[in-house]
Amino acid sequence: MPEPGIEPESGLPELNPVIHGKLRLALLSLLSTVEEAEFTWLRAKTNSTDGNLGAQLLKLEEAGYVAVEKKFVLRKPQTLYRMTVSGRQALTDYVQALKQLLGSAINV
Amino acid sequence: MTNNAEEQELAKLELTARLSLIEAMIAEGRQTTERWGWTFVLWGVAYYVAIAWATWGHSNFAWPVTMVGTGILTGVIASRIGGKQPETTMGRAIWAIWLAVGISLFVFCLSASTAGRIDQQTFIAAVAVMLGTANAASSIILKWGAQFFFALVWWTAAAISCFATVAQSSIVFLSAIFLGQIVFGSYMMISEAREKKGRERKSGAAHA
Repeated sequence: MPEPGIEPESGLPELNPVIHGKLRLALLSLLSTVEEAEFTWLRAKTNSTDGNLGAQLLKLEEAGYVAVEKKFVLRKPQTLYRMTVSGRQALTDYVQALKQLLGSAINV
Repeated sequence: MTNNAEEQELAKLELTARLSLIEAMIAEGRQTTERWGWTFVLWGVAYYVAIAWATWGHSNFAWPVTMVGTGILTGVIASRIGGKQPETTMGRAIWAIWLAVGISLFVFCLSASTAGRIDQQTFIAAVAVMLGTANAASSIILKWGAQFFFALVWWTAAAISCFATVAQSSIVFLSAIFLGQIVFGSYMMISEAREKKGRERKSGAAHA
């Protein structure tokens, strides 16, 4: 069953609903520029709350778009997020779809 | 305007907003907040300390002890001020250059001076040419002309040292340290502070 997302016109690509969420899209875009990032860095960059950020990162993790690594540095817990290969591919596909949709919208 | 046209216009606006969000976040992620100007100043001071210690203290341990001590100090300070910063491929590339050059210099200088097979001019030329290499490689990665200029300063010092007397090469080395480490490091720190201020202003406007 298709998940709710932006309904495409016939022949146009469908937007990935996992990525389409604003915060999730922002997180994937940020993670595409770095090798790995700490939870606190992502929170500062997106200006989001701990709860919301954690929930959205979990959705991305469940979709296989980000990988999580938890470790201790100087006895302090550190959670690191890294974009996976499928996450990078999904973001690329999303941008392509977005451009195609926008192109069709502009041509209307 | 019909309902259908309005809906299409809204959808278009939403899609454009998503594209803008991607662009903004990629730009935000790429903005480096790493600050390394202080390391140049710190190492410049360390070279002066090592030179002074070796000259007036007549100690063979002056260079190795000062270099290892400064290396440890750099690691400690860097981990404290840059711990929260994410690692980027560019950052790792630059770090790799400086680490490799640092280790190469340490191994060469320690071995050559212990074996007694190096004169002062050669020592200065080796150090200067390696620092020129590291600065040039960094400047090419960062596309930063100012750093390449300081690479030229180091290479010039290396070349002069090969032809100069001991006294002349010492003056050239001290001058190169001042320009390549102290002046460049201070310039970098000022640039980083300005960049930080500009980013804070921009960020404040964006969240207003």
